[in-house]
Amino acid sequence: MSAPEDLRKWRLPRGRHGLPRELVTRSQRERLLAAVVRVTAARGYEATTVADILEEAGVGRESFYELFADKRDCMLAAHAILVEDLEAKVRAAYAQAGPWQERVTSALAAALEWFASDPAAARFTVVELAAVGPVSRARFQDAFARFVALIDEGMEDNGAAPELAQATSLGVGAALARIYEEVVLDRAAELPSLLPDLTYEALVPFLGEEAASAERNRAAAIGR
Amino acid sequence: MQKHQSSGSGSSVLSPTVPIDIGETSQRQRIIEAMIDSCAEKTYAATTITDIVSHARISRTTFYKRFGDKRACFAATVSFCLDELQEVARDARSPADSPPEAVRRATAAILARMAAKPAMAQLLTGDAVSVDPGVALRYRKILIPALEGLWESAGAHKNGYIDPGLAFSRAQLLVFNQTAAGRSDDLLALLPDIVYLAVAPFGGHEEALAQARLAQSNGRPADER
Repeated sequence: MSAPEDLRKWRLPRGRHGLPRELVTRSQRERLLAAVVRVTAARGYEATTVADILEEAGVGRESFYELFADKRDCMLAAHAILVEDLEAKVRAAYAQAGPWQERVTSALAAALEWFASDPAAARFTVVELAAVGPVSRARFQDAFARFVALIDEGMEDNGAAPELAQATSLGVGAALARIYEEVVLDRAAELPSLLPDLTYEALVPFLGEEAASAERNRAAAIGR
Repeated sequence: MQKHQSSGSGSSVLSPTVPIDIGETSQRQRIIEAMIDSCAEKTYAATTITDIVSHARISRTTFYKRFGDKRACFAATVSFCLDELQEVARDARSPADSPPEAVRRATAAILARMAAKPAMAQLLTGDAVSVDPGVALRYRKILIPALEGLWESAGAHKNGYIDPGLAFSRAQLLVFNQTAAGRSDDLLALLPDIVYLAVAPFGGHEEALAQARLAQSNGRPADER
């Protein structure tokens, strides 16, 4: 088990881009959800036991089983909350006024910030999900589809019309592939620095090289 | 090997009717195929040795003799699939192809093979990466020098900011997403987009679009075997 001060820090994450409010408030359910995120991220889903979660949350076994069927149920509930929170952050950033490519950059920046602000939640969300078994595929696919739909909904009617059928999936995929890789390598905190290159990757299929480069340079300038 | 119990053929190790290594190869092959099928059905995480031995119709002892554990078996399975796809890619190209053409043909052939073997596609794009994230680096070590060499031999250099490693991960995500959505029978619908990803890092956006168009108009590639 990790040092107690780590546990305290985990239980009450703070900051602009921290965990959703639901996870840091103190009801039992919420404490359990926060605990499953921390414990799973630290030990891996396979090695995590319900006892670990209870200890981390300071909640009794009986209460756990009143709220969740098992470890997997608890994990999936926490996962759903995290994905929803990420989606809300990305949606808010994308909904701002301005040219479409700048809104895409904002949405990407919001996603990168979200993952960077809490590396444990990041690992839990993208890496540990696969360990829960077959249902992870449907969860992944559902989340992926939601982000693709979110970006598609915000397209302007007279905006970029890419030739590629999956251009939005390619953009979302670029972000997710990069995020996954950095999180796996324990470099989540550095994700925001990748914004310019990711902006370029996501936009090229829509805008071509010149316009994507221009937006890349703009993103780089914001970051400095 | 002296205690080897030959299954099925009635031969003994002292007087085998088929060379021992053929028996071993087919056993190994069966185990690998069982691993592929079981992972497709229930993911690596939920696969047990019992699933594998019953799929493969071998004994537990045989399993442990071939592979130390589930993880080692999985690693061998991933290598097996990668070898197969590398072979497919090699066979798809002809010496007269320009780099972008060669990449398009190789991509089409790989995707066609994955479409024919959706369980393998799922394993390589899903479980392989989640079980051992290092496998993504391995894919790249195979792929990127090959692409680089192709373009360099034609006197071209890497174009723009598109990262070939990331392009590969994006293609992998597209395939995984398609299989996770239960559309693995229609992997070839992704061909233009994946050709785009494969060509863009070295060939640039315009060339990649041109190759994606060609892939689209060629429809289902003929080189599917």
